Amino acid sequence: MESIKLKKITSVWIIAVLTLFVASIVLGILMRLNQGGVLHQAPITFYSNMTIHGITMIGIWFVAGMAGINYLMERYVKTSYTANLIALILTVSGVLMLWAVTLIGKFHTAWTFLYPLPLRVMWAQWATPTFLVAMSILATGWLIWGISMMTQVLKVYSIPQVFAWQHFKKDPAVKTPPFILISMITLVGVVTCLLVAVLLMALYFAEYFSKGNFVNDALLMKNLTYFFGHTIANEMLYLGLAVIYELFSEVGGKPKWKTTWYVALAWNFTLIFILTAFFHHLYMDFVQPEGFQIAGQIASYLASLPAAAVTVFSVWVAVYRVKIKWTLTNLLFFVGVAGWVIGGFGAVIDATISNNIVLHNTQWVPAHFHTYNILGNVLFSLGFFYWFSIQFTDKRVSEKLSRLILSLLIIGGAGFLLAFYIGGADSIPRRFSNYPAEFTTARPLANIGAVFATVYLIPILILFYNISKRCLKILFSSS
Amino acid sequence: MFKNIVLLLLIFGFCNFADAQTTSTALKEETNIYERVYDAPLQVVGQESATFDELYAQRPVILALIFTRCTGICNPFLVKLKESLQFKDGDDSFRVMVLSFDPRDNLSDMHRLAQNLGLEENEQWAFAITDSISELTQSVGFDPVWDSARRQFDHDALLVGINREGYITKKLIGLRERGDLDLLTGSINNVFVPTYRLQNQNMLFSCFNYDPVTGKNKPGLGLIFLALPAVLTASLLISISILVRRSRR
Ligand code: HEM
Repeated sequence: MESIKLKKITSVWIIAVLTLFVASIVLGILMRLNQGGVLHQAPITFYSNMTIHGITMIGIWFVAGMAGINYLMERYVKTSYTANLIALILTVSGVLMLWAVTLIGKFHTAWTFLYPLPLRVMWAQWATPTFLVAMSILATGWLIWGISMMTQVLKVYSIPQVFAWQHFKKDPAVKTPPFILISMITLVGVVTCLLVAVLLMALYFAEYFSKGNFVNDALLMKNLTYFFGHTIANEMLYLGLAVIYELFSEVGGKPKWKTTWYVALAWNFTLIFILTAFFHHLYMDFVQPEGFQIAGQIASYLASLPAAAVTVFSVWVAVYRVKIKWTLTNLLFFVGVAGWVIGGFGAVIDATISNNIVLHNTQWVPAHFHTYNILGNVLFSLGFFYWFSIQFTDKRVSEKLSRLILSLLIIGGAGFLLAFYIGGADSIPRRFSNYPAEFTTARPLANIGAVFATVYLIPILILFYNISKRCLKILFSSS
Repeated sequence: MFKNIVLLLLIFGFCNFADAQTTSTALKEETNIYERVYDAPLQVVGQESATFDELYAQRPVILALIFTRCTGICNPFLVKLKESLQFKDGDDSFRVMVLSFDPRDNLSDMHRLAQNLGLEENEQWAFAITDSISELTQSVGFDPVWDSARRQFDHDALLVGINREGYITKKLIGLRERGDLDLLTGSINNVFVPTYRLQNQNMLFSCFNYDPVTGKNKPGLGLIFLALPAVLTASLLISISILVRRSRR
């Protein structure tokens, strides 16, 4: 059973994530208003905000997923509180440094910090080394956490069992819970991409301090950057899915989902192909050999489509003509799966080489990744946060308020995303602080996006208040 | 807590090292790319005075920065440029602007230089001076250093490609061949130029090693780095599994 210490630390994670989420949404709205010409920020301010918005969002929803699986994993294996605490301390230190680096130091490479940008110091001198240190601290903390969870699972399940290989035969003696399967597959990806991050930081440090005696290969650095960035952004979704596989049926008052051969197969595909799907970020890099580009397209399909198909199938079977108990938790999960699939579809369109030639670096890109985040992964974690917060209290969000929250999330989210999608289809480039007059639709679309994002912010604030209040109670309670 | 204090100390340490960083020499051609060149007032040999933006708006410009009292690179640089550009004779898609960065130079010095090079009548070439040279050199990332002992400037042989909108699209340093100049004239005419920094002895881990003789790429050490993290994770997984085997039983 979950210990008191685990409950408390999970509460801290949740409050921290929600606080940073609200702050980052505000930055996002300011960016959209600036693109719409309502605000007139200096370009450096816009790009510093964009950088910290991107890094924070990726970071918080990654740790939200990790905290979620850590909490639920305690049902199957004993997890390490120390590793969880180290990750928390290092995350807080890293995040504080990153906010200082961008908002005070004006570091503005975008969250992808593509080589050689961090080394072309156009900001406070201290910002580049502090950024590299902050990223190293985060990678170290998360590596410790990830490896620790992997170790605890391996204490109970063997390697073939964690990957559910015995399910490829009939009537396996040991049954791997889907939660363990997906968590482990995700942790392997997480550890791999964090090792990439450590390597990447080491190469940056080497060039930074070598005074020109050591230079990096831009192609290697870009490959490593997306190996890390793309993989972590995807793995955090799978952390959320592990939570859904564990809780969806339980919350609805139904028996737990089971691992079958096709669930095992689909997730094993994800294990392998997610590690090479990042090649689709280099379609425009003519120095990358063609074979890698083709591998990128195939891996993008194989990493996402089978896992999406079995998840949608599982959710569909669980709800279609089945009487289940709907609560805010499983409603958030349900809408989240829909958002994930729609966003994933947008991503697969973009990952297809012939389409990427048109869509590359247009607003189609923020359109699709915001879809599976704001209407996908964020809802997975919010569902978990809400479920966690009501575990220890009788008070629930009323049905009326639940409906309001969901409606505003969907309306706000869909409007915000649609403005990006239409912009993308109209070839409006992404990452512009201001749009020249030639892009006639860019400004109105940005302002429409800002209005809908504000609508999205309302239910987030309600949930923030509601969940944080309960988490604070858990944090300060003695039992 | 202790860990946090150590980390903070480390950060301070790094901050103090911050100015150890200098722009790598290999990136010199990349500085100021896509920035606007300073709109300097120019006096052009044999023409009316004009501002720089009036000139590049007519045709894209290849800017060559020299000084007439130069006893070093300037003359070979211009001779080589003339020679390398012969294949573009009569091409009116660009203009070569030879500009003095030495305030001592006047129009007759530049006129003489044009005569010596046999380019006085050449439509493609213009020779000019400006009274705003420091703003202009700064805007293109050109940094000549005055050596008072030799009474000479220490400087790069720099060509700056500027398109019709006044943006620097490409820079070349040194005496360059026809192929490079072809890329330069393409880039100032907004043609996409696929270029990639060649590996040098300071670049230890490139993904591919290009052989200029055969024109082929060979796999490099960098590719190992791409595979390494996955191999490490797999080894880690197997090692942990073996180490904790006992607790599983
Ligand atoms: C309503 C909430 C949000 C708003 C208003 C918002 C707004 C924005 C805007 C305006 C941009 C710049 C778009 C451009 O390229 O032109 C952006 C970029 C980005 N956003 Fe969001 N966003 C929101 C939520 C999220 C969430 C939930 C995530 C991730 C979990 C996220 C991750 C990112 C990332 C990674 C970038 C790219 C930053 C970069 O290019 O460096 N955002 N967002």
